[in-house]
Amino acid sequence: MLVEINVNGEPKSADVPPETTLLKMLREDLGLTGAKLGCDVGDCGTCTVIVDGVSVNSCLMMAARANGSNVTTIEGLANANELHPLQEKFEEHGALQCGFCGPGMLISAKSLLDRNPEPTVFEVRDALAGNLCRCTGYTKIIEAVMDAGREMRSGQSGA
Amino acid sequence: MATRTKDIRTDTEELLTEAKAPSQQPLTVPTDKPVAYPLDLPEGEARLRTPAVGQRASRPDGRLHGLGQTQYIDDITFPHMLHAKILRSEYPHAKILSIDTSEAEKMPGVLATLTGDEIPENSFGPTFQDQPVLAYPIVRHRGDGVAAVAAVTEQQATDALEKIKVEYEPLPHVFDPLEALEDDSPKVHGDTNIYTSKTIKKGDVEKALKESEHVFHRQFRTQMVEHVPLEPHASIASWDGNGRVTLWTSLGRITLGREDLARTLKMPQSKIRLIGTVVGGNFGGKNEITNEPILALLSKKAARPVKSVFTRGDEFISSTIRHPFTMDYTTGVDSDGKILARKIRLVLDGGAYCSWTGTTIGKGSILAPGPYNIDNILVEAFAVYTNKTTTGAMRGFGAPQVCFAYESQMDDIADALGIDPLEIRLRNGFSENSLSPTSQTLQSVALKESLTQAAERFGWKEWQE
Repeated sequence: MLVEINVNGEPKSADVPPETTLLKMLREDLGLTGAKLGCDVGDCGTCTVIVDGVSVNSCLMMAARANGSNVTTIEGLANANELHPLQEKFEEHGALQCGFCGPGMLISAKSLLDRNPEPTVFEVRDALAGNLCRCTGYTKIIEAVMDAGREMRSGQSGA
Repeated sequence: MATRTKDIRTDTEELLTEAKAPSQQPLTVPTDKPVAYPLDLPEGEARLRTPAVGQRASRPDGRLHGLGQTQYIDDITFPHMLHAKILRSEYPHAKILSIDTSEAEKMPGVLATLTGDEIPENSFGPTFQDQPVLAYPIVRHRGDGVAAVAAVTEQQATDALEKIKVEYEPLPHVFDPLEALEDDSPKVHGDTNIYTSKTIKKGDVEKALKESEHVFHRQFRTQMVEHVPLEPHASIASWDGNGRVTLWTSLGRITLGREDLARTLKMPQSKIRLIGTVVGGNFGGKNEITNEPILALLSKKAARPVKSVFTRGDEFISSTIRHPFTMDYTTGVDSDGKILARKIRLVLDGGAYCSWTGTTIGKGSILAPGPYNIDNILVEAFAVYTNKTTTGAMRGFGAPQVCFAYESQMDDIADALGIDPLEIRLRNGFSENSLSPTSQTLQSVALKESLTQAAERFGWKEWQE
């Protein structure tokens, strides 16, 4: 079954069995291993990607369902020259330890800041509620997201 | 009770939005607005003498993590790689009468199967080698693997597992560790479930208890805890033309792992190469081999690299967990709340196999009396087998469980005698040159200073008012 999606601005396609999830297609057929398999049942959030502007658990979405959609993965956050402010701030604040929750966290955070540029701490917590982290205790992740939001707002005039 | 006039929500938000490293913040308590805790206290001498302490250092792996380019085992693929799945036991305790993999072998995409009787040396373990690679002929908990399949795709491997026919004869099982202590309980291994014990004696605990003004007794129990590393256990095995096997694995202790592989595969260590890569969380749960020997043998049979990743379900039942402790504490104190004697019985729920219980019982026993000056101590600890998930290493190795017990009892004692909980700990706590429960002289002890500083920093006195 041929599935065609636009990933990080590039058209991609793969011939996959019908039971393939979007996560499996991204990781195995398209070689985009940024999104992770942590539970395969939508509990941990390590598979989070953005499909047509909405952040989703890609382990719960069938690849076929994403046919024709625009998908953003962690690989699409930085461009050739610059890190996304979220990636900068995560690095600056030391927000990640083992890093496994990282791609999912960053995508959920991006999804939040794209629709709510000035979130409160509690709105950040709410947006990241579906992304589990076993290493850090979340504090620095939240600080980094707040900081990135500030950075993105200050750089916005005229952009 | 509290004198805070500000909403805790706004406090937190302010602190987070103005977060700076402690050494960069001014060292004064604001007087023009209500005090926000935690306070910052003047820099200690140690911090001034060792400039690295308290400074920001950026993690070297932050860049790759943020880009999503960190390579974990599951991100690695090799040409012609197969996927393996493991069939878990249907019973907590049973004899395997027969395993028939013939139907599975005929399934599309299946290139190899494996059962326990094919493992050259089917036992391993850091202390006692009581754990099988694939259980045969006895399964001792639901998480025991009984057969494995390697196929071209994961789905094919999962489908093939369903075709494996296993005939079991269920045996009586034991789940409760206190029941497992009894002589007449079902036995998991051999003729007793007590597989290791430890005793610590200091002074004369019975005499001191009789002379105590008050005696407190309570039983504390802790529960099973699973590490839940976000990255499930993962490994890939591959052979070269010279009969050497290489394993990429999330295993933490690769030198120990190589010994275990040499033992179970009956191969010289020189022919085994273990590559431990970046791991997505360990916390103790990835300290011993899991399916590495299985993958090595499947790879040998199929003549192709084989990868296997635990499902999240496997993580809960087949990977090691923290030992549940049942702790009986009897403590004698004088009228000032000074502890004169402490008698403790620890029963560790040791799961189906030994794993890291040796270290856990050791640490747990020595730390059980707590960081307090006690002249008369008796600790008797037992680890028992039960037909449940193997209990192994998890951050703390027995310390968190006993800490819960002795600190809870400290609060009980403080409450009963009407003494401030901080004060009672300062009265009993270790100082420089105190003796540990095993009579080791302790040095560089900063317990009371830490407690006092922490109390100031968090507004303990103010909270009490």
